[in-house]
Amino acid sequence: MFTMRSQTNLYIIRVCCCLLIVLTCRQLFAQTLVVNGTHWNVPVPNITEAGNDYAGTYESVSNQITHNTSVPLLLGSAKVSVHYEPDPTWNSNLNLSIRRTSNGSTLCLLCSISGGTAYQPVGVTDIELYRIQAVLALASYSDIGIQLSLSGVSILIPSGTYNARLVFTVGGL
Amino acid sequence: MLRVGFILVLVFSFFGGSLYAQTSGSRNVSVTLPAIALLDIEPAGPITLSFTKPTEAGLPLSNPTPNTSKWINYTSAYGTSGSSRIITASINQTIPGINIRLQAAAASGAGGGTRGTPAGLITLTTTPTVIISGIGRSYTGNGVGNGHQLTISVVPNNYSNLSAQTNTQVTVTYTISSN
Repeated sequence: MFTMRSQTNLYIIRVCCCLLIVLTCRQLFAQTLVVNGTHWNVPVPNITEAGNDYAGTYESVSNQITHNTSVPLLLGSAKVSVHYEPDPTWNSNLNLSIRRTSNGSTLCLLCSISGGTAYQPVGVTDIELYRIQAVLALASYSDIGIQLSLSGVSILIPSGTYNARLVFTVGGL
Repeated sequence: MLRVGFILVLVFSFFGGSLYAQTSGSRNVSVTLPAIALLDIEPAGPITLSFTKPTEAGLPLSNPTPNTSKWINYTSAYGTSGSSRIITASINQTIPGINIRLQAAAASGAGGGTRGTPAGLITLTTTPTVIISGIGRSYTGNGVGNGHQLTISVVPNNYSNLSAQTNTQVTVTYTISSN
């Protein structure tokens, strides 16, 4: 009887220890990206003087979008990519650009985040926005600032409402 | 049996977590461009056209030099289902024996898009008359030197209807609208 109970307790302890190890180690394999911030309704001022066109280029606040990005140690490094999808209608003369405005914060001293600090055009196919390098620890960055720019706004584009969905994806290099 | 359960727990713990790991996210960008039909005349202010009386009996009135100081500026935007626009002009009153004429030149200066086509020399009446047509999505630029230069002139049309007048004010109204 005593032996049976001991074996059961031992089994439970083994399961708990293994679960703890597995759940901890899972962080070594799982890369995550959480997108925060608000949708950007581009504030295009009304034209009040006949003969004028729109200013043409508009910029969001510097942290319109923020990312919380984690890269596991075992993956080493990862990149965050972005593309847009018409939702449902976009005009190809409206040019979206994007840049990273801050490194965010991290507890990992040796980890690094790089790239994407200059505006680059966003298309319907993925472009690399920035990459994160994990060194000796899980590279977890929070509140990485993302800024958007819209150019090409003109009278020559048919009046209407245009929407695009910016899709961010984290993946291995 | 316990070993099988143990292994299953480990497998689901590991891969089950991966199923829920978020690797993408999105945010929307939205921009609204309204329909616009704006027009103005630059520079502001009245113009004066005065006939000169002849100094020799039997000669006609001397017509004033046509005024070319005014320019039409406009901004036109409409949706995919919209149609081109026109500009009409009319006067609030006619002067007996006198034709008030207006001619818009082709667009020049700054601007872009499909700017309109002038209708040629028009004699203004109290009924709006098209002076520029076929205005697409376009803008002319703002101020003197941009858009369509206007030539405004007055000529006698019937001497028998003429009467001496001073400071007769005529207001020209310009309207931009859908065709």
